[in-house]
Amino acid sequence: MTTQTETLTFGTITDEAYRDLEAAVGAEYASREPGVLDGYTWQPTINDDPAKWVKRPVAVVLPSSTEEVQEVVRACNRHGLKFKAFSTGWGVYSGCTYDNVVQVDLRRMNRILEIDEKNMYAVVEPYVNGAQLQAEAMKIGLNTHIIGAGPACSPLASATSGWGVGWDGVYMSYGHRNLLGAEWILPDGEVLRVGSLDSGLEWFNPDGPGPSMRGIMRGSAGALGGLGIFTKCSLKLYNWPGPALMKTEGVMLDAQTEPPPNLKFHLCFFPDRASLDEAVYKVGESELAYIFTRTAIGAYINTFAPHLLQKISKTRPFRDVLSKTLKWGCTIVMVGSSEEEVAFQEAALKAILAEYGGLSMEATQAPAIGPMMIMNFLRVSAIPMVFRAGGLFSTALARNEAWDTQMDWADTGEEIKKKWIESGGILDDLADNPFMALYENNCWGHCEEIFQYNARDPKQLASLEPLFVEFSVAAIEMCMEPLSVTDARLREVVSPMMGHYNDWQKKISLFLDAKRVADTGMYCDEVDFDFSKVDPEVKAKLDRLTAGFTWTEEGPPA
Amino acid sequence: MALSDYKRDMEGCSRCSSCKWVPFNQIKSWRFAKNCPSICRYNFHAYSGSGRMIIGNSILEGRSELNDNVAEIIFRCQLCGACDTACKVYRDDIDLTEVLLELRAWCVEEGELIIEHMAMIDALKREDNVLGEPKAKRGEWAAGLAVKDINTEPCEVIFHAGCRYSYDPDLRDTVRGQVQLLTAAGADVGIAGAEESCCGGRAYELGYRGEAENYADDLVSRVKASGARTLVTPCADGYAHLKYLYPRMGKELPVEVLHVTQYLARLASEGRLRLRESVPLLVTYHDPCHLGRMGEPFLADWKEDKLQRPMSLKRAGRKGIFDEPRQLLTSIPGIELTEMERIREYSWCCGAGGGVLEAWPDFALWTAQERLEEARATGAEALVTACPWCVRVFRDAAAESGMDLPIYDLADLAMISAGIAQEAKV
Repeated sequence: MTTQTETLTFGTITDEAYRDLEAAVGAEYASREPGVLDGYTWQPTINDDPAKWVKRPVAVVLPSSTEEVQEVVRACNRHGLKFKAFSTGWGVYSGCTYDNVVQVDLRRMNRILEIDEKNMYAVVEPYVNGAQLQAEAMKIGLNTHIIGAGPACSPLASATSGWGVGWDGVYMSYGHRNLLGAEWILPDGEVLRVGSLDSGLEWFNPDGPGPSMRGIMRGSAGALGGLGIFTKCSLKLYNWPGPALMKTEGVMLDAQTEPPPNLKFHLCFFPDRASLDEAVYKVGESELAYIFTRTAIGAYINTFAPHLLQKISKTRPFRDVLSKTLKWGCTIVMVGSSEEEVAFQEAALKAILAEYGGLSMEATQAPAIGPMMIMNFLRVSAIPMVFRAGGLFSTALARNEAWDTQMDWADTGEEIKKKWIESGGILDDLADNPFMALYENNCWGHCEEIFQYNARDPKQLASLEPLFVEFSVAAIEMCMEPLSVTDARLREVVSPMMGHYNDWQKKISLFLDAKRVADTGMYCDEVDFDFSKVDPEVKAKLDRLTAGFTWTEEGPPA
Repeated sequence: MALSDYKRDMEGCSRCSSCKWVPFNQIKSWRFAKNCPSICRYNFHAYSGSGRMIIGNSILEGRSELNDNVAEIIFRCQLCGACDTACKVYRDDIDLTEVLLELRAWCVEEGELIIEHMAMIDALKREDNVLGEPKAKRGEWAAGLAVKDINTEPCEVIFHAGCRYSYDPDLRDTVRGQVQLLTAAGADVGIAGAEESCCGGRAYELGYRGEAENYADDLVSRVKASGARTLVTPCADGYAHLKYLYPRMGKELPVEVLHVTQYLARLASEGRLRLRESVPLLVTYHDPCHLGRMGEPFLADWKEDKLQRPMSLKRAGRKGIFDEPRQLLTSIPGIELTEMERIREYSWCCGAGGGVLEAWPDFALWTAQERLEEARATGAEALVTACPWCVRVFRDAAAESGMDLPIYDLADLAMISAGIAQEAKV
């Protein structure tokens, strides 16, 4: 047993403040037991800190209603405490960043309040997850966007407060675009209802009549809990012409789903990147895809058969076959309102393939692949298997843009990863793990370069921060928006190169939260960052970029 | 093993919360999407499989301490294994149930004891059963049955009734009927009568490993002395303990171990057990955790890095007993089976296990009631299961809530079909 007790310090809460929290939610639903609090403090996913513990909250509460959330927030205001919302809790973003934070676990607010079939939207509370909403929507011929982090995650959280991207974006857009209204508890405890809801006109429109606050409340990357708590939201639903229940035997690798006749799943491969790029634009224009993703062979094998990849990756010919021959591929699931429609979609795909020299394998019924993958695509349920290889992963994001810019980012990510794989800093996935998707029939694309690592390997843990900086610098160099825009460690560096965006975020925060009651660590705070572990060449490049790209009072640099 | 031996499992938690949900491909509704009674009842993350691992890791890292509150959190869990099964959909390197068992043993080692569990262990030491019933009366359930006494006669099949069946008066007709079904099929059955003891599995679950080992030694020696080739038990808990805990403790039983539903299904398929009478009933079947996912046999120890563990040694719950009870049930003329949403390795627990029924009966009944609601939602006329602990707590929950849903042991219906009984107790 370690003896860290002497060196660890945690925030505390006064008895009076705690009694107020108990009064707000009921004593059974409040705790300040350290072991319980650490349940909210262990946040290893997409967390570069090797310790993996974030700040421990001083208390946790479990409100069951909007009114109880308001009471909690007001108690925090009275007692000089901060608060941080927590829904399904996936990723470091859910954690606290100050020593005096009350974690507001919204687990008891778990209802689907309404599914409006005619107007195609659902009203949900924070602890509804993607799989639940999809299961209920499918019963009436509708479907919901599920984000890339998987079906365990709260659609409300990604739509109101974080990212909301995923494979089905080609047909079902992404979280914050699907947001049709929200009930927002501001940092002073007041309720703001956004959009048509505020005018008593139901949940169909976030931009009026009534206050349109989407840009303020979440912007591009989400305020990640830094501007209040969202207790309800409305989400756009989409057509689902499949069965009410996708009958499936098994749970994952053994899953066997009976595909409906109007659903087809194709694996497509192209001879080179240019062909793939052009074909993907055509796929978008043709509006034929229900689900689309780049096929990354390294990712597939490392997800579904990590032991196999470990063995074959050491053999050069296998490595070359996998990483070169099958490099330029995509996966397309088509769902038609009739068998004739899906046949038309397949014919359109065939024409695109012919035009760009592609090949496709219709894999819907392919043994061991089709029936196993169909549900995993529809529900994004295979995604957490990314944890299999080493226990954890992280991601390098450059902001959504045109498909070919995202392919550039994938290529850049691959080159960076090769070096780190070679040195043992991250796990070997053939450097081929871009999570790529399209939005709204390819209005734009998305790419995250995923990297997996062994959570118990100190060397790999030590790689995380330098790698984070290297990816950030690469994104800036490519005039893209790096993931570090949402990270307090690099905000101070990145913000001046991007129109001083964080100055605006800080103003919004101050306007809505003059008493600084919300935990803004993930939203707009800036902390000092130790660059000593970063490759000096990378740091020098960052300095050059900073000198060249920083905005002045007149605007962007020439 | 010690708690620190599981540090890598605990710090491996990616906190994805998969442990709280039915495996995602099997979520069929909002209502029945969750899998863990403990987190559903108590809500704080600490009450989930992940939360308990984090607690263990926190204590090992000196961040927090074991105290009465934390011990209660550790023990307010049925050890149903649903979290483990869900976790292993995505992870190869975490054995969540083993961590939970180790946390309990550690609590006992550290003197953080649950009073009701201490009473169970005292009863076990005194009367050889966790119910505190007189040892001398253990074999009374079999009075008048044509079975051998394994203490004095050789037999082919040992019938190990288990604690609950031996003493619960409501279940007496059931356990007697199980033996009657076996003997009617021509099985050469013997029992230990008053000499039968608890298998010790509950003691292991409660963290009292020394006691568990003693009872395992006792049963192993009795079975060896009997010369039997098969041990049949109707107790799902006992079945899991014999199939998993015993070999894990190095206590090998020199016989084939079968749950009674497995043996009856075998006898029926061989034509030795004839189920002729029609039992017209629409039923749903509850997979007992310890017969299902927890009934997966012990595979082998793996001392190396679990990331490198062969998949064949990964205990994911799918090798439990799911099919034979259904085969037996549907071989009864007139029976129509309709499934609940949460079945097989992702079944919802009955609530009785892990010492919860004895220490927090309200939690056990709450858990059982949740399952009854799911059973009712299928439209079934009755709930059928194959574990005395499940039957007990389901009947108690139905009585408390006033739900009119008959609860049957599978053997109850087989007895009617075989002409051994006219009607079954519910």
